[in-house]
Amino acid sequence: MDHHQAAITAEDIGFSYGRRRALDGVSFRIAPGEVLGLLGPNGAGKSTAIRILTGQLRARTGRALVLGTDMAHDPAPAQARIGVVFEEKNLYEAMTGEENLRFFARLFGIRGFDAAAALDRVGLADRGRDRVKAYSKGMRQRLMVARALVNNPDALFLDEPTDGLDPVSAQAIRRIIQAEAARGTAVLLTTHDMHEADQLSQRVAFLNEGRIAALDTPEALKLRHGQRSVRVRVRENDGVRETALALGHPDAGERLKRAVEAEGLLTIHTEEATLEDIFVLVTGRGLD
Amino acid sequence: MTAPRAGRGGIVTAIIAKDVAAFARDRFWVFMTLLALVWFVGMYVFMPETVDESLRVGVHWTESDAAFDAALGAAFGAAAGLDVVRYPSRQALEEALGMGATQPPERLTMGLDFPDDFLVRVHLTLPTSVRLYVDPEVPDDVRPALAAMVRESAYALTGHGLPVSLPNAETVVLGEDRLGRHVPLRDKLRPLYAFMMLVVETYALGALIAAEVSSRTVRAVLATPARIGDFLAAKTVTGTLLAFTEASLLMVLVRGFGHEPLLVAAALLLGAVLVTGVALTVGAAGRDFIGTIFASLVFLIPLSIPALAVLFPGTASPWVQVLPTHGLVQIIVGATTGPMAAREAAPHLASLAAWCAVALAMGLLTLRRRVAQL
Repeated sequence: MDHHQAAITAEDIGFSYGRRRALDGVSFRIAPGEVLGLLGPNGAGKSTAIRILTGQLRARTGRALVLGTDMAHDPAPAQARIGVVFEEKNLYEAMTGEENLRFFARLFGIRGFDAAAALDRVGLADRGRDRVKAYSKGMRQRLMVARALVNNPDALFLDEPTDGLDPVSAQAIRRIIQAEAARGTAVLLTTHDMHEADQLSQRVAFLNEGRIAALDTPEALKLRHGQRSVRVRVRENDGVRETALALGHPDAGERLKRAVEAEGLLTIHTEEATLEDIFVLVTGRGLD
Repeated sequence: MTAPRAGRGGIVTAIIAKDVAAFARDRFWVFMTLLALVWFVGMYVFMPETVDESLRVGVHWTESDAAFDAALGAAFGAAAGLDVVRYPSRQALEEALGMGATQPPERLTMGLDFPDDFLVRVHLTLPTSVRLYVDPEVPDDVRPALAAMVRESAYALTGHGLPVSLPNAETVVLGEDRLGRHVPLRDKLRPLYAFMMLVVETYALGALIAAEVSSRTVRAVLATPARIGDFLAAKTVTGTLLAFTEASLLMVLVRGFGHEPLLVAAALLLGAVLVTGVALTVGAAGRDFIGTIFASLVFLIPLSIPALAVLFPGTASPWVQVLPTHGLVQIIVGATTGPMAAREAAPHLASLAAWCAVALAMGLLTLRRRVAQL
């Protein structure tokens, strides 16, 4: 994929806050309809990357291209076609949900915006006329997502969109992300939740101390860095015997066949490394 | 997909409409604005619209002599606004002056006690003395005037005229002679009313901006096609619009447009821009409501001095003339007390406009820098 095909391109981006280097040579591309999960601990540079790619910060080095626009020069053409969910809940609290959406629709130059439909999409149809200050955390987050979708964006930047949400709200937001990707929207997703990244992302990038430590599909990362195995539990005499069969072993197939045919077989579990395991393995640190 | 594009005007208008709506539904600032309007208009309505220019002087003399009465009448009666009240005894005079055991319902502030042998000694050209009672609040220049009147009555009694006369025809009044129609306090307060109304809007806009910065909603706005210039332009227009509208409404209610409505309107508009510049600065600096209030005080205390100086003529130092609000105050005072020549108003307008440019530039740069740091 070259950058003509990519909707979002980060080319060797570098940025510093004073002497602290936040991003150091970060590069990746996201195709239309693709979800890239940008994973990393707090302070890894995820939010800085999003700010540069959405035109709010100018990269010190490298280039940020979004929908064919160099964001360091005139980001306005791209900003008309992107949606952003910020990490902080920066909504106008004295305004209602509908008013928030209508205001942003006006900034995008959209006439006749159907705020009720937009709120319905995120499950807030019955709360649209309530002021945001009366919303719960989950409702605010859903409104943030609705706001990011006001202009039917071609590129979506989501900074921890499900952080701290209840499972129902988080699942609702994940479904919207999947629907947007299916529509052809390029999605950059930062998250702490490895399961979420695994579930939503076609590819994931591990960001550690401002650098990309690994970038590939979750499956490829697991295959490359993880140990695949099958754990077999068999009743034996009065107890239970548990055996791990490494699938990479030359006679793994034969051993698995014997285990399946064994008398007293209780359970067989496939085991593979999680993205978190691989992150720890690659970066030498956890995600907290 | 080609997305619709909002023009700069559409974006600025959208932000202004949002800010005005936010102001209109903020109960605290709406209440404060209405309170300020009602309070200042109430002060204007209930304060006296004329100035009581007469001075009451209590006089005690025991001798009843037609010539003495005539001399006193000639001396004191000639003084415009002097109301002479005669008391039968020194004790009665002192009680009226509040020196007795009980306080009189209406205390005198000045009194003259002529000795019993005053007439005899004057006729014999012997030295005599008259006791002058003066309350501390009586202006210093009134005391020698009273002493001169006593001397004049003595001259009249002895048949001598004063060696120097001051014919009215040769009295030169500097500026407009306001004898008998001095500016009432309620009218002197007009510049202060206007300034305080502008101050309320400084606080309101400052709080609005501080909230936008602290909640980082401005980041969401700037992730759309809106530019920082659109945001700053919208805040400037919103602040100026609110401050000018409310200050103008107040001036209409207190008849503050006087003889030069266009001139006062221009001054109020520039004043509104000035306080908007201050509001942008304090909004950028303030983290919350209290922070905004304190940051505002740094600017608003010195800015209020010219309006306060109008209440106490002659007390202000010359440096007050360089304060940004001096021009605003001078124009309101000049236009409400009489016609104000364009030549007279021009320096004040120019000074005010220059300060507006400085305040606005400072506010825009400060807020721009603050937003960039978010």
